[in-house]
Amino acid sequence: MAYSEKVIDHAENPRNVGTLDKSDPNVGTGLVGAPACGDVMRLQIKVSDGGVIEDAKFKTFGCGSAIASSSLATEWLKGKTLEEAEKIKNVDIVNELNLPPVKIHCSVLAQDAIKSAIDDFRAKQAARRSEKPEAQTK
Amino acid sequence: MNPFEALGIEARYDLDLKEVEKRHRELSVALHPDKFAAVGPSARREAIERAARVNEAWRIVKDPVRRAEALFELAGIKVGETNEPKTDQAFLMDMMEMREALAEARDEKNLGKIRALADDAENREKAVKEAISLAVARAPSAQIDKHLLVSALPKLGELRFYRRMLEDVSAIEETLSEQAVAEGRAS
Repeated sequence: MAYSEKVIDHAENPRNVGTLDKSDPNVGTGLVGAPACGDVMRLQIKVSDGGVIEDAKFKTFGCGSAIASSSLATEWLKGKTLEEAEKIKNVDIVNELNLPPVKIHCSVLAQDAIKSAIDDFRAKQAARRSEKPEAQTK
Repeated sequence: MNPFEALGIEARYDLDLKEVEKRHRELSVALHPDKFAAVGPSARREAIERAARVNEAWRIVKDPVRRAEALFELAGIKVGETNEPKTDQAFLMDMMEMREALAEARDEKNLGKIRALADDAENREKAVKEAISLAVARAPSAQIDKHLLVSALPKLGELRFYRRMLEDVSAIEETLSEQAVAEGRAS
């Protein structure tokens, strides 16, 4: 498999590898897997009270393209609002990394991970609001 | 291609692979080009094509993932990226935990811990294989239970996750033992 230079760069020097505190109410965690190849990917975002993603971390066990896709995703996420983050599509990743057709599913996985992290964050926020109804009425 | 048919064996998951290998070898010998030296070119070409099919069939059947895929397909259940359900979150959490523990054990060069994690993954993989075996047991007969088959489809994904992890284990164990040999020589 001939990887593009950008894939090799991200796979060899992945950005933002790591873990954020899952129990932090400002952290959203997306955990996704690709049953067709056995890759697992965890992507986490830390969202400021103003709704901006101030940090993003990932951990991926999979092929170089999956690592590169998630590494790139974390780079793109930082500084974006949730609404902007939702607009990141897998084709953007494909184009940036020059992924070949057989590796498109890696970018789909990364997009899925972004979405699950955002969903998780929003679900947490909603749960917090419903736990503290007095905060809403104020 | 029906790989089981190509090898003339029963279409099932829990095969005796030693027997299948023997069967593959016998067929390969019978289809060897030398045996077709005296016949016409079309018969020879046919033998070569059959031999290629038999080889491909053996590659599919001996691989636990590809064998399972073939049995699902034979039963009319499509497999692959767009056809399989998303993996369950609880399973993914377990898998992530196992992979992180494996990465940690690799960094610590802790062979005992690596083996323990591999044993755990192998046991889980075995249970998954048994579930697949049971689900596809009656495929592709007329009485197949499609519902049972579809509900077993996530197991195929789980099998691939375990395979992937165990392939990584083999690579890690190989690298570490090479390092140990090199260090042994150096000291």
